[in-house]
Amino acid sequence: MPTVALLGNPNTGKTTLFNELTDTYAYVENWDGVTVEKKLGRIKHSEIVVVDLPGIYSLNPLTKDEAVAVNYLLNDVPDLILNVTNASQLKRNLLLSLEVLEFGQPVVLALNMIDDLTRSGIRYDLDVLADRLGCQVRATNARKKTGLAQLKTELLAEQRQPAAPLVLPYPRPVSDAVQTAVTALVADFELTPQFARWLAIQYMNKNQTVRRHVADCGLTPLTENQVSYDRQHFDDQIFNTRLTFIERTITEATQYLNTSHDANLTAKLDRWITHPILGLPVFVGIFYLMFKLSFDWVGTPLSNALDALLSGPVSTTAANLLTSIGTLPFLKSLIVNGIIAGVGGVLTFMPQIFVLFACISVLEDSGYMARAALVTDRIMQVIGLNGKAFIPLIIGFGCNVTGIFSARTIEQPKERLVTTLISPFMSCSARLPIYSLFVTAFFPHNQAVIVLSLYFLGIIIALVMAKLYQWLFRIKESSVFIVELPKYHLPRLDIIAMGTWDKGKGFVKKAGTIIFAGTVLIWLLSNLGPTGIVTNINQSFAAMVGQVMLPVFKPMGITAWQPISALLTGVLAKEVISSSMIVMFHLAGQTSLIATFGGLFTPLSAYCILVFILIYAPCFATLAAIKSETGSLKWAAYSLVSNTLIAYVIAVGIYQLGALFI
Amino acid sequence: MQLLINLLITAAIIGLAGWEIFHHLQKARQGNCPACDCGCALKRQATRKQH
Repeated sequence: MPTVALLGNPNTGKTTLFNELTDTYAYVENWDGVTVEKKLGRIKHSEIVVVDLPGIYSLNPLTKDEAVAVNYLLNDVPDLILNVTNASQLKRNLLLSLEVLEFGQPVVLALNMIDDLTRSGIRYDLDVLADRLGCQVRATNARKKTGLAQLKTELLAEQRQPAAPLVLPYPRPVSDAVQTAVTALVADFELTPQFARWLAIQYMNKNQTVRRHVADCGLTPLTENQVSYDRQHFDDQIFNTRLTFIERTITEATQYLNTSHDANLTAKLDRWITHPILGLPVFVGIFYLMFKLSFDWVGTPLSNALDALLSGPVSTTAANLLTSIGTLPFLKSLIVNGIIAGVGGVLTFMPQIFVLFACISVLEDSGYMARAALVTDRIMQVIGLNGKAFIPLIIGFGCNVTGIFSARTIEQPKERLVTTLISPFMSCSARLPIYSLFVTAFFPHNQAVIVLSLYFLGIIIALVMAKLYQWLFRIKESSVFIVELPKYHLPRLDIIAMGTWDKGKGFVKKAGTIIFAGTVLIWLLSNLGPTGIVTNINQSFAAMVGQVMLPVFKPMGITAWQPISALLTGVLAKEVISSSMIVMFHLAGQTSLIATFGGLFTPLSAYCILVFILIYAPCFATLAAIKSETGSLKWAAYSLVSNTLIAYVIAVGIYQLGALFI
Repeated sequence: MQLLINLLITAAIIGLAGWEIFHHLQKARQGNCPACDCGCALKRQATRKQH
C-alpha cells in the first residue's frame, strides 16, 4: 500500500493538514518505546496511507520522542514525503527540509499558512523554490482549506518523476569523505547509493540515532572514521553549507509585495526590544506599566467601588434579611462575617487581577512574550539555564502548578529539576489579593513599584537558587532553546477578552470552592476553642496556633497572632490568606481591615510579610505537582522546608536591616 | 424547630466546605489546582507536553 510520510516542524499546521487530507477514521496508537501518538490515516477516496510523524526541528533528535521520525526513515521507506512548513518561518523550516531532500525519496513541500506570509508583504516564487530544491512546492492554508485540492492531486499522481536526492555543495573535505564512505558502503554492505549518502551525511552531522543504528549494523566505513569526522568539525561545515544554501534560495525566491510594512516595522522594533542591553530595561518598563495599570490607575479604583458595595449594602442587606427571618447569631455570623466578608473580600480584588491578565494577554497577542523569553535567555545563560526555563517561570506567574508541568519541555533531567524547584518562587496570581490588600493600606501612592519589586525579588531568588543548584548538581549539559519570533501586530479585542477570561475564570471558580471552604474553616477555628464556642477570639483554636508561633515571627515585625494563623491557611491556596485575615479580624471588608492594619504593621513590617508570603511554603497543589514531576516526596518536602526557611531569613533580614534606617 | 433548621443549614455549609477541602486535597495530590477544571490554555498546553 503506498505510504506518504507527513513531516515538519512543530506548529506548522501539520495535524490540521493531516485531518483535512485523510478520512476521519485515523488510526491512533503509540510509537514504539515512547508515548507519542502514532497517527495513520487514508487519503480520502484512495488507498494511500498517510503517517503523521511527530513535529521536529531537525532529524538530529534531542529527545526520544524526536527520534521517532529518524527511526521511521531508517526502518521504513515511504513512497513520498510531504514536508509541511510554516511559510512565514521558511528559513528555519528548510533546515529540516534539506535533510529530508537528501534522503532521496520524492518530496512535496507544502508552504502552509501562506496567508500569514502574504500579509507580511512577501511571496515566494514557487518555481524558483522547486528548481533549487528539486521537489514539488505547493502553497496551502490548511485551516482555510486553500490549496488542498492541488496538493491532494499531487499526492495522488500515479506518474511521478523519479526523485534524485538533493546534492549540496559541501566543502571538499566533507564531500570527499562522503564519497569515500558511500563507495565502501555500497560495495561492502549493499546499501543503495542514495541511502548510503544520506546515512553518511547524517553520521558526520553527529546524529546520535543514526550513529547508534550504524554501530548496531557494524557499518565500519563510518564507525572507523568517527574521530576523524568529529575532529574536523564536519557537523559545523554541514550546517554552514545548509544555511548558506537556504539563504541563497530564499533570497532568489522572495518577492516583496507593496501591501504591508509589517516586516519592516517588526525589524525596527526588534532593534530596541531584543537589544542585548536595552532589551532588559524595556522588559522591566513594560512590567512596570502593567502593574501601574493594574494597581494604580484602573484596578484599585474599581476594587474600592466593589468593596464599598460588598461591605456596605450587600452585607447590611444580608444581615437585616437574616435577622428578619429569625436566623440565630452563629449562623448569621458564619454567613455575614464569614462567607460574605471573606469570599467577598477576596472577590473585590478581581479588578486588579483581571486588568493584569488583560495586560498579559495584550503582550502575548502582540508578539512581545516571545521576545521576553529571548531577552531573558541571555540572563538565564549566565545562570546556567537557558531561555527554555523562562517559559515555565513566566507560566508560573499565572499558576505555579502549570508552570511546573510546562517544565516538561526541558529535555535535560537535572535542568528540569532545577526549573521545577525554582518555579514556586515565581509570584503566582493567587498572591495578588494579599499584595493588593497590603499595598492599598501601606503604599497607596507606590502600589505598582511595590508589587513590581516583589515580582522581581521572586525572579532574583529563583535565579540565585538556580545558580546554586547548577553548582550542587554539577550541571554541564543544557537543553537547546528555539523560539519563534512572530511579527508584531495590533492585538485583537476578541482575543484579549478570551485570553483574559481564560486566565481569570480560575480565580472566580476558586472563590466558590477552596476560598469559600478555607473561609469557613478559619471562621470555625476562630469561633471554636478548647471549651467549645468562644465569644473572645483570643481563646479560639486559631489564636492558640498563632500565639504559639508569634515569638518566631516577631523578628520580622509581626506583633499580632492573626496574620500568622492566616499564613497557615495559605497552604490550601494563597488567596485564602486575605479572606482569613478579614474573618479573623471580624471585619466587614477590606476597607475596615486596612484601617485595622494601621495599628498592627508599619510599612516596613508590611513589606516583610509580603516578602514572606512571596517565598514561603508553596500551596498544597504545587507541592503535589513537585512530587508528581520529580517522582519523589523528598523534593516536595524539601521545597516546603527550604522555601519557608529562605522566606524567613530574607524577611527577617529586610526587617532588621530596614529598622536600622527607618 | 427554628434551632433545628439553623443547625441543619450550618451543618450543610460546614459539610460543603469540608467536602470542598477534601476534594481540593484529592485533586492536588494528582497535581491539579482548583482552577484546573476550567481547562485554561496553559493547562491544555502543559498536559499536551507530557513525555
